[in-house]
Amino acid sequence: MKGISRGCKQGMVRLLGDERRQSVSIPLFAIVLSLFAGAVVILFLGKNPVTAYQNLLQGSGLLPKPSYAGYKGILTDFTSFMNAWTPMLFASLSVAVALRAGLFNIGVSGQMLTAGFLATLTIGYSSLAAPVAKPLVLAVGILAGAAVGGLIGWLKHQFNINEVVSSIMINYIAQYVISFFINTYYVNPVSRQSNAVSKAARLTLMDTPVGNLKMDIPLGIVLAVITAALIKFLLDRTVFGYEIKCVGTSRNAARYAGIRVGRNMIASMILSGSLAGLAGVTYYLGYFGSIQPRVLPSTGFDAIAVSLLANSNPVGIIFSSFLITIISKGSTYMNSSSGLESEIASVITGVILLFSACGAFIRYKVKGFKDELEEERGKG
Amino acid sequence: MERIIIDGLSFSLPLFIMAIGGIYSEKSGITNLALEGLQGVGAFTGALAAVLVAGSFSDQSQAPFYLAVLFAIVGGTLYSLLHALLCIRFKANQVISGVVINILAMALTAFLTKYLNRSVFGAASDKFVLGVSSRITVPVLSRIPVLGAVFKDLYPFEIMIVVAAFAAWYVMYKTRYGMNLRACGDNPHAVDAAGVDVGKVRLVAVMVSGGLSGMAGICFAYSISANFSSSIYVGYGYLAIAALIFGNWTILPTLGSCLLFGFARSGGYYLVQRMQMPSSYSDLVMTLPYVVTLLLLVFFSRYNRSPRALGEIYDKGKR
Repeated sequence: MKGISRGCKQGMVRLLGDERRQSVSIPLFAIVLSLFAGAVVILFLGKNPVTAYQNLLQGSGLLPKPSYAGYKGILTDFTSFMNAWTPMLFASLSVAVALRAGLFNIGVSGQMLTAGFLATLTIGYSSLAAPVAKPLVLAVGILAGAAVGGLIGWLKHQFNINEVVSSIMINYIAQYVISFFINTYYVNPVSRQSNAVSKAARLTLMDTPVGNLKMDIPLGIVLAVITAALIKFLLDRTVFGYEIKCVGTSRNAARYAGIRVGRNMIASMILSGSLAGLAGVTYYLGYFGSIQPRVLPSTGFDAIAVSLLANSNPVGIIFSSFLITIISKGSTYMNSSSGLESEIASVITGVILLFSACGAFIRYKVKGFKDELEEERGKG
Repeated sequence: MERIIIDGLSFSLPLFIMAIGGIYSEKSGITNLALEGLQGVGAFTGALAAVLVAGSFSDQSQAPFYLAVLFAIVGGTLYSLLHALLCIRFKANQVISGVVINILAMALTAFLTKYLNRSVFGAASDKFVLGVSSRITVPVLSRIPVLGAVFKDLYPFEIMIVVAAFAAWYVMYKTRYGMNLRACGDNPHAVDAAGVDVGKVRLVAVMVSGGLSGMAGICFAYSISANFSSSIYVGYGYLAIAALIFGNWTILPTLGSCLLFGFARSGGYYLVQRMQMPSSYSDLVMTLPYVVTLLLLVFFSRYNRSPRALGEIYDKGKR
């Protein structure tokens, strides 16, 4: 018994002990653990976990499906996957920027909805030409998101309102007010959603014929990857990035060092909000072309998982958002092909979240094992 | 007028009992944003129990309801152990843990509801239909003008909640455990020095919050929505947190803020009906409690004094 536990400890230390690699190895450990847990659940439901996970990849265009409809292929699946990935990447960056400043922006969904709605109203329903409309959509999205995010930061700074509570209140207010406007003025009687936006304003080129395929080409994904790099630079290499990191680590120490805490909190929330705004326009004017009333996009909440998993590192987020999007996007195909409820996907995401929330504990435990083993070696 | 009071109470009391749960947890030093998920899981287990036994009772019987409340409390308590495990044993960030638990609760209950409906009841549905609990009217007291409405058309759970709230108040302020609990939130080191296990006190506090939230969840399911579905997650948990912050982490003022939310909501609905506005206007009314919360927080957050050690991980070696 003692030998086994010692072996386990040695294994853990060998696997996760290297402190420089821990920022990658611990999230990977969390993912593997959750996928394993998910596999156990799927087995318990009487389905084959390998096929289920394979279906997730097939649904995301990363593995070929057994058969395709006309004008469809693995490439169309992949571009449509990237279409869903774009808002997720923006939303996760938004969560990460706020987390760096020690703020928990759970209002990404509300900011996305507000930005998407305002951009739909102002540009989506206008008759502007594509070269004008597309940049304007982005601009409106950034401004609207920044306004809502800034409001949350200002409420925190000025009135000491917990940002989690205020952003959730704003989520619900946005959800109901926008649903009221859509249902009263802009509803499409057939789809029960808002009227579709003009083709010129759409950030995704829908059904574009390429060769013998018809693909949805998301323009935003290029911007999203560039933004991730920019945010990485901003956070790691500039004074602003350093200051918000200080504020996030210890508010009192930052104040003592002469950093203006309030201003930095508001600034980081404005940045976080504008990223959420970009997520909103790429979601509502890219991935979809209309808004469903009374529904907040789940992307804003999944983004928390993505960001936690990557330890709010923008480059890590590119990978973790890729993974989480595979799980959520592929779940539809998994549902139709192996008959598993597509909700199992969000359960797996939830479990990944749960394990990555314990990251600090895993690190602490591994360190404990390491010290213990070293002590034993010293004695022997 | 009567309607406003009756509907307002049936909304504010479940909110109140959930807020008391939150007070227990936060007074002991554990930030609890998980209330939303706890009430959802509580409502889920309660509803599942009710649906499972529904066949063996007559339609008029209230037994499934009481059983549902019992199971909701048990379910909420068990699920809250996860929050306690993460916050106390694993020393995770309490805000993050709370949010994670909410997300997991939504995913799990949505999945299980669909799965159980298909495999056990053989129907493709994403909800458990419960019906609305019966109401009772207290004979003499309800005749008092205006205030009599408080005793009219009561849901039985409202009486249960008042009793539970009183018990919670008594334990918190009149017993040794309550004193330890309040001390854990302000100065856990002193509690430790007095020979009391801080982790244990906090564990019990989080479990209480889970049980009370579960009770609130099933009450919402039996009154407002008349079923269990993902519509149970509409932010009541966060409303309860706002209520307890506004009530400055004390039980009686929190009751006041819950009543305010309840009456803002029922008053708004009454207005929509009275002025015969189209139903889409009820969306605007739905925002009322949230707007009121934000405004109140703007005015009162500054004067609040949260428990001093709230959200801090207890570390024995720390000075």
